[in-house]
Amino acid sequence: MTNFDYPISERIQALKEKRLRINKDLRLNFERNRIITEYYKEHPNEYPILKRAGFLYTWLTTREINIDDDDIFLGDAGPHCRTLHFDIEQCSQQWMRGCFGDTDERFKAAWQVPGSVWVDDEDRKWILEAADFWKTNDIASTAMGLFPEEFTARMAPFKDFLNGSYPGHFTPNYERAVTVSFGECKKVAQQRLEEIRNHTTTDNVRSELFYRAYIKVCDGMIAMSKRYAEGCRKKAEQTADAQRKAELLKMADSCDWIMEHPARNLWEGIQSMFFYQYLLTADGTHWADSPGLIDSFLGPLAENDIARGELTREQAQDMFDALVLHFGDQIIMFPKPNNDQLIEAHNSGKTMFDLQGGMQNIAAGSLITIGGMRPDGSGDYNIATEMVLLAYYRLRVAEPSLALRINKGTPDRIWEIAVECSKRLGGIPQFNNDDVVIPAMLKRGVPIEDARRYSVFGCVEPAISGKEWSMGANCGAFGAGNSPIGVLQYIIHGNKDPMSGREGDLPCKKLYEYDSFEEFQAEFERQCKHYIDEMARMYHFAALVFNTAWPVLSASMMTAGCLESGKDVTWGGATYNGTGSMIGAVATVGDSLYVIKKLCFDDKTVSARDLYDAICANWVGFEKLRQTILHAVTHYGNDDDGPDSLVEWFTNLWVDYYNSRPGVNNGTNNCGALDLYWVGGGKRQWATPDGRKTGDPLSISSDPRQDCVKNGPLSYVKSVAKMPWVKLRCGGAINVRLDGNSVKSEDARSKVRKLIETYFKLGGLQCHFTVADTEVMRAAQKHPEDYQDLIVRIAGFSAYFTHLSFDDQENYIQRLELGV
Amino acid sequence: MLDYINAPGRIYDIQGYAVHDGPGIRTTVYTKGCPLRCLWCHSPESQRRDFELGYLPVKCLGADICEDDCIKACPEGAISRDKPVPAPDGSGDIQKIIIDRAKCTGCMKCAEACICEALYTAGWDTTVDEVYNRVMKDVSFFADGGGITISGGEAMAQFDFTLNLAKRLKDSGIHICLDTTGFAPTAHFEEIMPYIDLFLYDIKHMDPIMHKKLTGTDNEIILKNARFLAEHGAALQIRFPIIPRLNDQETNIRKTAEFCASLGESVKLVQLLPYHKAGRSKYDRLGWHYRLRRVEPPDEDFMQKTLELFQGMGLNAQIH
Repeated sequence: MTNFDYPISERIQALKEKRLRINKDLRLNFERNRIITEYYKEHPNEYPILKRAGFLYTWLTTREINIDDDDIFLGDAGPHCRTLHFDIEQCSQQWMRGCFGDTDERFKAAWQVPGSVWVDDEDRKWILEAADFWKTNDIASTAMGLFPEEFTARMAPFKDFLNGSYPGHFTPNYERAVTVSFGECKKVAQQRLEEIRNHTTTDNVRSELFYRAYIKVCDGMIAMSKRYAEGCRKKAEQTADAQRKAELLKMADSCDWIMEHPARNLWEGIQSMFFYQYLLTADGTHWADSPGLIDSFLGPLAENDIARGELTREQAQDMFDALVLHFGDQIIMFPKPNNDQLIEAHNSGKTMFDLQGGMQNIAAGSLITIGGMRPDGSGDYNIATEMVLLAYYRLRVAEPSLALRINKGTPDRIWEIAVECSKRLGGIPQFNNDDVVIPAMLKRGVPIEDARRYSVFGCVEPAISGKEWSMGANCGAFGAGNSPIGVLQYIIHGNKDPMSGREGDLPCKKLYEYDSFEEFQAEFERQCKHYIDEMARMYHFAALVFNTAWPVLSASMMTAGCLESGKDVTWGGATYNGTGSMIGAVATVGDSLYVIKKLCFDDKTVSARDLYDAICANWVGFEKLRQTILHAVTHYGNDDDGPDSLVEWFTNLWVDYYNSRPGVNNGTNNCGALDLYWVGGGKRQWATPDGRKTGDPLSISSDPRQDCVKNGPLSYVKSVAKMPWVKLRCGGAINVRLDGNSVKSEDARSKVRKLIETYFKLGGLQCHFTVADTEVMRAAQKHPEDYQDLIVRIAGFSAYFTHLSFDDQENYIQRLELGV
Repeated sequence: MLDYINAPGRIYDIQGYAVHDGPGIRTTVYTKGCPLRCLWCHSPESQRRDFELGYLPVKCLGADICEDDCIKACPEGAISRDKPVPAPDGSGDIQKIIIDRAKCTGCMKCAEACICEALYTAGWDTTVDEVYNRVMKDVSFFADGGGITISGGEAMAQFDFTLNLAKRLKDSGIHICLDTTGFAPTAHFEEIMPYIDLFLYDIKHMDPIMHKKLTGTDNEIILKNARFLAEHGAALQIRFPIIPRLNDQETNIRKTAEFCASLGESVKLVQLLPYHKAGRSKYDRLGWHYRLRRVEPPDEDFMQKTLELFQGMGLNAQIH
């Protein structure tokens, strides 16, 4: 077997170790938040997009230029390497006041002990003053000022928790930043501005403001690049080492060139990506900011450098290694832990990094896509595809996530490295099936040339790379949205959520009052449609919040369509618009429906009243019934049409209806199947008919329950392939668990590949696999320090096992063990 | 013609993605009953033709929950409550069960009564048709060399069933492997040969006396059948389990390699299978004694040297 463990250079090894050190000592980005707060305070009446440009320009021209001695690529989005970002206009009042307005003693225990993210007394004082300003000026206030009453009433109890998360979740057009440049785009903007000036109309007057803002940010970007050039020269003067001095001077020359002009070589290409990433981060869009098909535009630069003798293969690999390491430095605080959580973490020897990494991929859904197709349909794989994969494989990193597009043109060698990489790093890369995603895009009305250029962002969501404003699924941050599991609870309990006691919108019968399963299904359908309507409506208002006062200028700078139309992405400027929404707990809902149908209506072995009573009692006193359900009723995931057809039924119902609702900015609504919070979400759900107890985890995304899969991976994969993947155009995640023994043999690579290929032929959209070795995980629980590199796939992302909370670790191990 | 699809058989498992049982992605049917008793056998439940009672304590929820279902079901009084142990969910103590295997007659009434599948019956009766319909669900995975493996126990010990299943699958163009100890009448091999694409053929020891000691049977017929198949153009994949101290003596390894080489072109591949302990927990489930407690897997260097010896004789060999 080919061994892909090519050596890691000393320089790269040192950069990796540096990051592990920094993880124990993260610092918050106050710099950016001070700049935005000052700017917004001083310019209360500036038009929103000009205000945003003014803030970004100020940040670009005044922020600290940080160049570390060991940098291969320059700078960071914050003042230090791996600054932890929190964006104050998105922070809830509840969090700021709860953390920093707490008693001195508790504040110190949370923010001023070894291992904490250090916030000094001055920063504390500042953030509380800033909170006063943002109270009536933040995104949440805009939202409350325009949401219809029925939404605000529903949200009233949560108002203080409101986190007006900025829309991230898209693929910024990094390609344009690298291959066209801000300087060239500025010229186009100036020309368009001239044209409009001579013909100002009601329709284009706002575009004039857009272009003025646009040009200002271009100027700022060019200025920042030149400031880095200056910084490099200064560093070079102070450096005794001749080699580093030469390197810094070369970097300086490049920084004088890039931003204003297209990148001329690999280093300039990657550095251009980073400068753009810093801008996006400062603008607060880093939630799942994903750079698209990077091999497609970096590969030709690398090949050219190697052909001209300017780079050796090893040097090129170093650059891709550094790219992967540094791209994952864009880390954000989400969710934001409160003082209780922090104090508890510190008391148990954990750090902010552990907390963040345990709740969320700390790179917050940033995802690199490699491979794919050219617009003409030929395979698009090159030296960069391989080097990016090798970077993950050799460095053993989980962040940012990685997606590999699979089609007929995928080279054997890429398959081999990808399978080996997956065996080593749970879920990296995920495999995406072009034969399903491209048709899914065509169904949205995307022309074939563009459909072939999709990339994946966030966890699993496909979008047209660099051309789409895809509001992801995070309009839900405002509290919108209901889910199939919520509807199921309502129709079992007569329009009441038994956990919270809250009434739903549509009065209905209780489980034992339905005359037939068809009647139960009809009620399920009626309620699903109602809540989907509510959700789709909510998304329009959420979009209006940003359209009104919170443009996403950093995205509009490069997203195709904005420069051309003179519109911000939030005004509908992008070529394509999509609004995602996710369903989860597919197995919990599907299995529950099947249990009701089979036991209460088909076989009539259990009365609906008994089942209802058992659920209401959380199975206490009904354990025999529960065991019968778990063992004697076939569950989804065993290639049995009984449960599988109900999964098909309700997912089709949900997906078809959601996708048919009018989307934001006249784009499409795109449903997906993904859930990151089955453990936390499960804690808020009462017992369900599938035998699940109150508070137990829900099933994950569209995965079958591992403990009820009895026929092995082939049946599992066949069941899952029955989901309506070609309509699930916001993606989905399927985790295939393989026994450690089954991947050891010599031909395992080809067998794993065959398994994936067959799943894709059956219509599967995405999959990743995990090699289960529970003994290793048990050992990692005991000696976490020895297992820093152990990576497991969670659902939408991969995470370092040792950073998961104990609950999540246990859940993960149990899922694996019970599958045996 | 339709008769054979009803041929009865007794099996104990059907597994998809059985990656150790031949080329490509395969689904394997495991028949029950075997004339050999290899000391290292990793599927003890396959040995006897009779059903076996298995007990997996980790699944037992405690006798309080089912109100002693299995204890009441047992006509022999062979099951009783064990001493209290802490419940896995921390909700207090539970009492699982202990089985007095000496009293057990194998009536399986307890397994039928058990609601949580902690007690289970290893093995069930089926027909060619039933097995065919089940395995054909996986047909989409069999492209490019994959297919069905009929394994055991010893599949040849249920000759009618195995032959008819092979015929039925052959009609559908499925690639068929037969995983066999070789311990069956030569006439049976002759009859089944046209339907088998690849024999996975075990050679466990070259010395007849040692073979009898380790497996309970003589190896004469096994070696004879191997030669018969080779001479008649069957494709063979020889599998040689390497069990430290039992069959890893240099002379035996050399003789085995020589024997494989003497079979000529029929031998497509020799797989050297290092001993592993994966089957050990299955003995506990059956309440059986595992006899190789002190044997450790062979080390990698030794396996590598053995591999080189096989390769040195011109054999296509691999460690599996």
